Formats: sequence, C-alpha cells, structure tokens
Amino acid sequence: MSAADDISTILSSGIRLTVPLAFAACGEYLAERAGTMNISLEAMMLGAAFGSVATASATGSATTGLVAGVLIGLLIGFVHGNLAHRLEVNTFVVGLVLNALVLGLTSFLITISSFDSHQVSQVSVPWLRDIPLIGHPLFVERWPVYLLILVIPLTWWLVERSRWGLELRAVGEQPQAADVTGIHVNLRRRQALLWCGALAGLGGAYLAVGEVGSFNQNMTAGRGYIVIAAVIFGAWRLGRTLLGCVLFGLADAMRLALPALGLTLNSQLLVVAPYLLALLAMLVFATRNREPKALGQPFVRGST
Amino acid sequence: MTASSAAVPSGTGRRLLRHLNPGPYGWQTTAATVLALLVALALSSALIAITGGSPAASVQALFQGSMADWTAWTSTLLYMAPLLLVAVGACVSARSGLFNIGQEGQVLIGALAAAWVGLRLAITGPVLLVVMLAAAALAAGAWAGLSSLMYRLRGVNVVVSTMLMTFVAQQVVAYAVNMPWLLQESRVGNAPVSPQSNPLPPSGLLGSFGEYPDLQINGGLILAVVAAVLVAVAITRTPWGFRLTMLGRNPLAAKHAGVRVNALGGAALAISGALAGLAGAVLLASPVGVNRLQPGIAMNIGWDGLLVALVARNRPLAAMPVALLFGVLRSGGGFLAATGVPSFLVDVVKALLVLAFVAPPVVVALVRRRRSSDRTAGSRREATPVAEEAIA
Amino acid sequence: MTDDERARELTPPSAPALRLRGISKRYGPVVASDNVDLDVHHGEIHGLLGENGAGKSTLMKILLGLVQRDSGTIMRGETPVDVHNPQAAVALGIGMVHQHFSLIDALTVWENVILGDTGKIDRAAACRQVEEVSRRYGLPIDPTARVDRLSAGERQRVELIKCLRRDPSVLILDEPTSVLTQAESAELFTVLRHVVRAENRAVILISHKLAEITAATDRVTVLRKGKVVFHSETSATTPPELARQMVGRDVSLRAEGAALGMLPVDGAPAPADPGTGTGTDAAAPGTAPALRLRDLTVTIDGVAVLSDLSLDVAPGEIVGLYGVEGNGQSTLGDLLSGLVLPTSGTVELAGRPVELDRPGALHRAGLGIIPEDRHSSGVVLDMSVAENLVMKSIGDVSGRGFISRRRMHAIARRLAAEFNIVTPSMDTPVRSLSGGNQQRVVLARELSAGPGVLIAAQPTHGLDVGAIEDMYQRLRDAASGGVAVLLISTELEEVMALASRIAVISSGRITGVLSTGEATAERLGMLVGGVAA
Repeated sequence: MSAADDISTILSSGIRLTVPLAFAACGEYLAERAGTMNISLEAMMLGAAFGSVATASATGSATTGLVAGVLIGLLIGFVHGNLAHRLEVNTFVVGLVLNALVLGLTSFLITISSFDSHQVSQVSVPWLRDIPLIGHPLFVERWPVYLLILVIPLTWWLVERSRWGLELRAVGEQPQAADVTGIHVNLRRRQALLWCGALAGLGGAYLAVGEVGSFNQNMTAGRGYIVIAAVIFGAWRLGRTLLGCVLFGLADAMRLALPALGLTLNSQLLVVAPYLLALLAMLVFATRNREPKALGQPFVRGST
Repeated sequence: MTASSAAVPSGTGRRLLRHLNPGPYGWQTTAATVLALLVALALSSALIAITGGSPAASVQALFQGSMADWTAWTSTLLYMAPLLLVAVGACVSARSGLFNIGQEGQVLIGALAAAWVGLRLAITGPVLLVVMLAAAALAAGAWAGLSSLMYRLRGVNVVVSTMLMTFVAQQVVAYAVNMPWLLQESRVGNAPVSPQSNPLPPSGLLGSFGEYPDLQINGGLILAVVAAVLVAVAITRTPWGFRLTMLGRNPLAAKHAGVRVNALGGAALAISGALAGLAGAVLLASPVGVNRLQPGIAMNIGWDGLLVALVARNRPLAAMPVALLFGVLRSGGGFLAATGVPSFLVDVVKALLVLAFVAPPVVVALVRRRRSSDRTAGSRREATPVAEEAIA
Repeated sequence: MTDDERARELTPPSAPALRLRGISKRYGPVVASDNVDLDVHHGEIHGLLGENGAGKSTLMKILLGLVQRDSGTIMRGETPVDVHNPQAAVALGIGMVHQHFSLIDALTVWENVILGDTGKIDRAAACRQVEEVSRRYGLPIDPTARVDRLSAGERQRVELIKCLRRDPSVLILDEPTSVLTQAESAELFTVLRHVVRAENRAVILISHKLAEITAATDRVTVLRKGKVVFHSETSATTPPELARQMVGRDVSLRAEGAALGMLPVDGAPAPADPGTGTGTDAAAPGTAPALRLRDLTVTIDGVAVLSDLSLDVAPGEIVGLYGVEGNGQSTLGDLLSGLVLPTSGTVELAGRPVELDRPGALHRAGLGIIPEDRHSSGVVLDMSVAENLVMKSIGDVSGRGFISRRRMHAIARRLAAEFNIVTPSMDTPVRSLSGGNQQRVVLARELSAGPGVLIAAQPTHGLDVGAIEDMYQRLRDAASGGVAVLLISTELEEVMALASRIAVISSGRITGVLSTGEATAERLGMLVGGVAA
C-alpha cells in the first residue's frame, strides 16, 4: 500500500470515528451553554446504540432504528432534565446514576437477546469521491453522516441567533437575572437537555446501525466522556469543540491503524490524548474563562 | 500575588453539594424512601420477569452467593472492604465541598503503586505490606491532589478534572502492564505474555484475622472499618472536622474565620484519594482478585464506592451497612448467571437503589418549599410548564 | 393637564391605571400582604414606603407575576386581570426596573434589552429601538456594548431603556437609587418626571428612604407588616407623619432620622463623642491610631478597584466611609475580612503591620468585622447558632483534640443573652433566624473576641428600624468602650448620625475627609461624584 492509501484509510476511519462524537458534541455544547454539565451523555449514546439495533432488528429497517435511537436519547434527556431541573437532584449524581443504569440495562439485555445486523445505506457522491486523498473518506459514507451538514449550522444558529438560544445563554450565565426577566430557567434547561439527548442519541445510533451494524456490551466505551472533554477543549465554542472531535477521532483512528502500519507509537498515549488535551485546555485557558458562569449550578428561585 | 489570584473559590461544586447534604429529614422522607425502594425492587423484578427469568430464583441466587454460608459471607466481606474505603474517602471530600468523582482512577493508581512496591522493591517480611499500603495511599493521594492543584492554580472544576483523570489513570495502568521494564509479567519460555503483572509475593498479601470455621475476616475489612470510625470521629468531633464542615458549607465564611481554605480543601481531596488508593491496594493484595495488577483490577469499585457514599449521604458510619449491601449484590451477582439471569442485573438494581435513596429527600424538600411558598398557586404553576413542554 | 391642576384634584377623574383590591399573601405563618388596596393613577409618581419586610417587594412580585397572590383582585382600568407569570405582566403593560440581578453580564446591551420578549430576533431593529429610546429620554448608551463593561449608572440606564422600550403604562422602580450617585439619581428623577408628565404613564417608586419619597413622589402609600396603614398626597403630609406611619409609633427624626433615611435635622448636635472631639485631623496627638490603612491598592483584572487608599481610625472614634455602592467599598470589606489581598499597601493594627496573607491574621491582631453580606461571609447558614458564635475561636472550646460541646454551648448561651439573640435553641441553624438576629450573631462573635478595631460594613442593610437602632447603639457603645470603629456605609444619614469624621470614597480613592460639623449633603455629594471639595 502506498503512503497516500494509508493516509486515506486513516482519514476515512478518523471521520467515521468523529461523526458520533460530532453529533453528541453539538448536543452537549448546547446543554452546557444552558448551564447543565450533562455527564449522562454516555448513557444517552449507549442507550441509543442499543435501542437502534434492537429496533432495526425488530422492524428490519436500519433507518427506523436510527429514529428509535434519537427517541431513546430524548427519553434519557427527559429523565435527566426532570430529575435535575424539576426535582433538583444534583446533576452529577443524576448523570452517574443514569450512566450506571443504562450500562447495566443494556449489558443485561444484550446478554439474553440476539439481534440481526442492519446498517443504513451508503451514499457515494459522484465526482467528489474521486478527489485524491480526501475524496473517498469524505464522500463515500453512510447517509446519516451528511446530517451533520444540517445539524452543525442549526446548532450554531439556535445558540447564537435564535431567541431560544439567547435565553439559553442567559440561563447558563445568570439564571437569577434570567428568571427576573421572565424566562423559565429550568424549562429552558430541560429543553436544552432534550436537544442534547436527541443529538447524542443520533450519534449513538449512528455508531451502532451506521458504522458497526450490531451492538456489543459497553459499545460506546467512554465516547460520551470524550465529547465532554471536547466541549471543554473547545472552550465552549462550537467550532473549536468540533475541531476537538476531529482531533480525538483521528487519534483513535491512528491507534487502530498502528499495528497495520507497523508503527510503534504508544497506543495508550493516543487513547489518553483527548483527556490530556482537555485538561491542558482548561489549565491554559483558565484565566480567560469562557465557561458559562452557572455551569453545573442548580437554579432555585430565591437563592443566590 | 495579585488580588484576583487570591480570590476565593467561586464554588460551583460547593453549591451543588449543599443539595447533596439535605438537612434533617422527617417521616415524609423515610416514607418516600421506603416507597421508592419498593418501586425500585418492583422494577427490577419486572425486568427479570419480562425477560423470562424468575424473580424469586434470582433473589435466592443473590442470597446463595452472598449470605447463605460462611464462604459466601467471606466473599461479600471481601467486596465490602474496598467499597467502604472508597466511600469513606468520598465522604471526606464531599464534606469539604469538593466533589471528587475520580475514585475509579485513584483506585487504579493505588493498586499500581502497591504492585510496583510489592514486585520491584526488595523488601521482605511483614514490612512489605505496610510499605505497599503506604505507597498506595500516597500515590493515589497525590493523584487526587493534582486535581486540587489544578483547581487552586487555574480554577479547573474539580468534578471535571477528577473525572478526566480517571481515564488518564486507566491508560497509565494499561501502559505499566504492557511495558516489561515496568510491571509486565516475566516471559516464561515461549509462552505468550499478557498485559498483567507477576503475582505478588506471599509476604505482600493481606491475610485474614481469626480462623472461624470458614469465615475469614480479611485485613482489608479491618482497615476499612477502622478508617470509617476514625473519619466519622474526626469529622464530627474535632476542630479539624469543624473547619472541614465550615469549608463545605460556606468557603467564604471559612476563609474569613481564618481557615486555610486551600490547604484544607487540598488535604480533603488528597485524603479521599488516599483512601481510594488503599482500596486499590486491598483489591490487589486481598483474595478478592488474582493478586496481580491487571487493567481491569478496579472492577468499577471506584464508581460503586461513590454511589455508596451518595446513599449514605456522606456519613462514614452509615456507609458501613450500605457498603455491606453493595458487597452482597456483588458477590451474589456471580450466582445469578446460574439461574439464567445475567449478572449485569445487579448493576441495574444498584442504580435503581441509588436513585431510590437520593431522590426522595430532595423531592420532599421541594414539595415542602412549594407548599410554604405557593400554597394556592402551586397547582397552577405546575400546570403551565407541562403545557409549555408539550409544545417544546 | 398641568401640574397645578393635578395637585389641586384629590382624585383624578380617569380610572386608575392600576387598582389592587384586597390582595393577600401568606408564606406559611407569615403574612406578607394583608388585604392591600392600592390605586395608582396615570400621570403620577406613586411612592410605596415601608421598612424592610413591610411587604413592598411581595406586593410588586405579585404585580409582576413572580409570586401568586392568595386572594384579591388586580384591575387594569376597570377590568380584573390575572397576572400568573412575568410575560402576562408585560402584556398588561406593567414593567419593572429591578434593584439587582436583572441584566446578564455576558450579553450585550441590545440582547439584554430584548430578553424576555417573544418572536424572532432582529438585531438591527433592536439596536435602532435602543438608540431611539435612549435619545427620547436622554439616556445615552451604546447598544452593542457588553453589559459587564458598564458602570453602575450605565447599567441603570439599560434597565430603564429595557423597561421603557416595552412602552409600559405602569413602571415600577425598586430602590433605584441605591447604586447611584446624587447626580445620577437626579438624572433618573428627571427621566421619571418626563415619563409621567409628558407621557402620562404611572410610576411606582419603592423606597425605604423618606427623603427620596418626599422629594420625588406625588402620592404616597405606607405599608407596615403587610398592611396599608397610610395613604396621602405627598404634599399633604410631612416626613414626621410618614415616619410615624412607617414605624407604627412616634419617632423623633432627631434621634432616629438616620434609621429612616432622613438627614439629622438642622442644628442637631453632633453625636455624642467624648473621646476624640471633632476635627479633620486624625486622632488626638500622641495616641497611635488603632487602625491605619496605608496606600492600599487592589487591582483586579487590570482594573484598580482601590487606589492608594489611606485612612486612620483612633481608639474610641467612629469614622464613616461614605460612598455610592460599587466604588470599592466591598473590596475594602473583603480585604479586611481576609478574602482579598492588596496589590500593594499595608494594614496596621495598633501600630503593627498585619501579615495579610496569613489566614486569620487580622482576627488575631484584634480586628473584628461585620461583613457587608452576612450570608456570604458572615455566617454559615446551615450551621447552628452555637457553632457560628464560636467559629473563629474553635480552638478555645476544644481540649485534647476534641471539641467540647458543653463549653461551646456555655459560651453561646452567654453571648446570646448579652446580645439579645432571639433563637429557639443554640442548636438552631442560623438560616432560620431573622435578619436582625443573624446580624447580632455576627456582632456578638466579633465583639466577644475583644477587638481593638471593629469594621462595620453596611451593618444595617436589610434590618428593620428597631434592629437598626439597636445596631447603632451597640456601635456607639463599642466606640465609647475604646474600640476604633470604621463604618462603611452607603447611607448618608447613617454616617452623619454615627461618625465623628466622614471619609468619602469614589472610584476606589478617598476624595476627602470631613468632620461631621463640616459635612453637608452638598459637600459630600461633590466628593461622592469624585470632585474634591
């Protein structure tokens, strides 16, 4: 194999590994701007991955599976939102418990069931796919990949340009002030979690019925946490967050490709890169802090 | 030093923790908790029944594996020890207002340090065990201390950094057991080597106290119970614990009252890490595992121990029975598979149990507040968001 | 209608802009609003006067839909309406300028102004509207500026613009002048005059300051313990009458005027101050100052919050540090609480410099402090009264490494008796005490250490008149016992009544020091505005 082929292969697998992260990152980004540090992202992705495979197997349609994945993500977002932003259970606790619950539940269910393999269809864009090096990786993909073209600008527009997003940002920065202005703080946060759940669900479902075609125990293997790391790495800016996803996806692709390439780069280092980079980003950008001020803080009317 | 760098922590996690430590709770909370527990158990049974298993047989199997005889009890108590150590540590950091969720990684680092001391230092006799435990506590304490340092110097959120450090710890251990010059097992002839360390020498193993017929009380359990009692006394009865509580409840007032906020917070985090590290050493050295360092050695004990502390509402003495319960679930889980119910069921049950313990006090407090503030308008205010949400 | 005509007519012919009938609201056993009737007319500024806790805020929250009433009717014109959320209030033309907490720092002016609207965002239109409103009312502001870069006065303008842009027919202002200089307050009242005279809107001005109410309103309603106890044309009543209604007993403006927001009456004697006499000079020669602040500079994010601040306080003297909120007082308070370190400069207590970077050094050196925001650094709300009382001396109630609960309770009981702290038990969390009692817990703890210096930062903020008087008395007692007292206050009346010398702070520097004899509202006003007098 030529070097160009190698690069193209790594790019190709890097993009496939980036896509689920990117979907989930759009969701997590929006939830964090509204003030929720949503660590149940892992549960959303994992639950959706399982749900999509089960549904695809039951209905025979991978696309239906994809939709089911989104719905499962929404459901987990709904549960998290209501526990954390209606009943006021600590959001990190909710996240830990949901992660444990979904991991246990999916592991339990996959052990006693077997599913047929289904995958969504591939789209190959004529002409563009023939561009050397990047043509094949970018333009021969399963169709949900191209949803990103829609989801990314939409997320940006929602946060930066829509009234809903303006209110989300207000809620993430100074919930007390937003409340006085007449914004229903906890409702906005719940809504943000729904958006997050839907997109994380899409990401998880894409992983299962898009890339792999089946479900295995703990399939997401911490991708939810990588996405959280990406949002931190991106300093709560969408562009940089997505850049983080690409970097982390490529690092993962490199790790998988290493044995085949006969290179001896340390694979643990590549696995750990996202977390180290996120930590580093926090250490470096700390003084120019762009973190939403109320991130992770519950809102209770009347308390300051 | 400028004024801004001396400014007091802004306390994201602290405010959260105030919600974690609900105040006195009356019969409503107890009733709600009992109800929630019943619901959790009903849900678990339903899950077994729906998937074709028998709830009764599952309970029987759980009992068989954890409490039916002395052997089962021995295994339960072996799990309880590291769980309790982690939970007691979690209580200390939570009391100080710093929410450490990186116990899983700290357990790994503790096990790594203990393994390195046990296998690479030429110490013989009972001293080895002591040095191993000390090394585990120090290494994991320092590991958690890094998060405190990042917080102190650059304001990095402790919840986030301890969480991320867990994944770093996993790779550190994976690296160690893949590198022959570090801890990977020695090659014997042409046999393939696995990513694991050599077994510990006998002098590095935690023995049992007392030889009751078949019931073994492992040294790890003694260690954990002593730690729980000591920490409980320190928190509630000493000036140190008073300052710790003050720091957790109101860091500004604590600083104002002359508490060395950074040092005390850092110490609390380091102690919580050290106790998790001890749990790692216990996992390595007690007969709960294979006495080798393996990447999977932590077995989610770190995450579970955190859940134990949550259920015990950050009280070390209450953590003892809870850790026992979680130990029962773990050792019983192994017996489930025989009944055709995957052992993953216990993970589901655990999560539901935690939810059943954590949610009711918060809900009761919320209902009380609503009642006292919006007695008549309560129903109306409840109705609006639901309608709005339907649109959203 | 001219001003004169209006003044002559007791009841304007038009239906009131807003009519409240029998509004009641309870919080558990506490009655926050008790059968309140209130008519607010177009074209008038209606003063709502009452002590802290009299029910002013609850009433306004009901009007704004932030709180639901238990019973009663709200009418706009002749139609009963239901205000069940803030959006409904906006739709009814009720707008409010909040005292605090209503602008989002990280957003721009125009974003803040349209926050709470509905519909699509049109940036250009929003900016245009901001500019238009700002021109119409003479409130210059850059619509694209981020709010966290604005001064207090500019923020107040944004609040006003935000409110006026929605064209409210009823405009509510909650203690609007607490963060403003006199010049800025004057600007605000000019705008309000314009709003009622030229545009025939109704304005409700909430205040606890008598002077402000008498100067700026057309009618006044006094609330006490949730009830309307008095209602009149402002011109037909007098400050003593209003004060009597507000407190519920005869008060002497001479003695208690400060607590009510009135300047000491002309010719009032300077407060009893046998120790040091009154002069611009510092302490009497020969005695070292108990507290000496020297060239204190605090720079936060490149901004000098305090610059070269120097001030001496002699034993037995009360020095007032007066200025408008947000001019560095809270940073000084934080510095003297050990929460912030100075970039340069020193603090000396009894002639010895204090090592400020050592935790608790100020306390050990004999400085007691009543912090500005008692909830944030004065007390730990979730700990008990006893624990809060011994918080700074926990070592003294411990023996052999353990806390002696017996000794702790003994000390707590003694202090509670001495300082009249009303609490069900020593184990009650401080959270459930009243504001006055919480403040007494702080005072008791600080004075029990026998300090040589007492810093009182906004010590009467949020207290009722009785508690304020009690606090004044204790500060005077402390001073006559030889303690050097530094009173940091934004209430002119308070410093005039208590202090023998007044230092004025503006933008983090001392712009002048006057003795009470020399201090007049005008001179202080100039200094507050940053003009050396």
